[in-house]
Amino acid sequence: MTIPDAPDVRACRVDIDSTGALFQAAAKGDAAAWEALVGRLSPLVWSVVRSHRLIDADAHEVFQTTWFRLADNLTRIKEPDKVGSWLASTARHECLKVIRGSRRVVPTSDVDVLSPEADDRSPEQAVLDAEEAAGQEAALRRVWQAYEQLSDSCRRLLRVLMASPPPSYAEIAAGLGIAIGSIGPTRGRCLGHLRRLLT
Amino acid sequence: MTCVNGDVNDDAELENALRRAAELLDPVPASLMEVAVEAFRFRTVDAELAALTFDSMAGTAAVRGPAQARVLGFGGQEAGLDLEITAAGPSHRVVGQVTPPAHAVVEVRGDTPVSVTTDALGRFIVDRVPPGPLSFRCRVGDVVFTTEWVTV
Repeated sequence: MTIPDAPDVRACRVDIDSTGALFQAAAKGDAAAWEALVGRLSPLVWSVVRSHRLIDADAHEVFQTTWFRLADNLTRIKEPDKVGSWLASTARHECLKVIRGSRRVVPTSDVDVLSPEADDRSPEQAVLDAEEAAGQEAALRRVWQAYEQLSDSCRRLLRVLMASPPPSYAEIAAGLGIAIGSIGPTRGRCLGHLRRLLT
Repeated sequence: MTCVNGDVNDDAELENALRRAAELLDPVPASLMEVAVEAFRFRTVDAELAALTFDSMAGTAAVRGPAQARVLGFGGQEAGLDLEITAAGPSHRVVGQVTPPAHAVVEVRGDTPVSVTTDALGRFIVDRVPPGPLSFRCRVGDVVFTTEWVTV
């Protein structure tokens, strides 16, 4: 199958320093910097939460708790550049706590369950819709369906990996509680599985 | 830094297709982004942060059923807070006590804070606490502290 053009790859990702700068500005009381930080790192937090496959209500709570904690810790975090890892790690720990307490996880998944409500779309989706990109969208749905057929461990890693902008390996490791060194090989293996499902 | 070479590029392309699929099919809900942005307004700036020191849901014996109360303990430098949370329909009932026992003013943090005054032993009850992240702001004499946010 044909996969739509890839406009961006890992090595070209957003400058990490600017995330640290946003954090420092927010810590000094700059609300606009905070909003930019939320915009930039929310997909990472959401991806970590989604990778743990909580039911929607729990996923929403964990996402909020994670950001509320960061707001309270703005003046306490000593390494602004690592705020992404801090968020990923916090989200992971909250997910594990919810899972331990309830085992309310999504047993299986399908595109319908995970599809967002029509009135809850991100700007990115709105742009995609407006592109009149029915063919592209169909291709992306096929990619997503193939992803859903992967093993639990592959889905877990890839769901964090596909955060936008692409997370660093340190952020992925923090979000999944795994060693940085294991990410590359697992990524290669899982993407290989995915490619075979698509051909 | 180059972005491409051989197989790595293939993987990068596939990973990016996944990224675009996630943006299309499982994006961050816009309503959640708004809540996260709002968090800046009710963040604690000067108050001491009391860390979670006990959680009945932590550890291997954790339980969270409809009939089970969740017990939480928070400890600050000079004072702390013990909570017992039970589900009451769609919301929660919170029974708490400031430690060491003392008269205090306790506020459920959030968009629309709810304030209660404790008895002389620091005890209080708050009903109809909505589901979602939970944190308290406590004033005991001159000491003000807020508890770490928890998901209940």
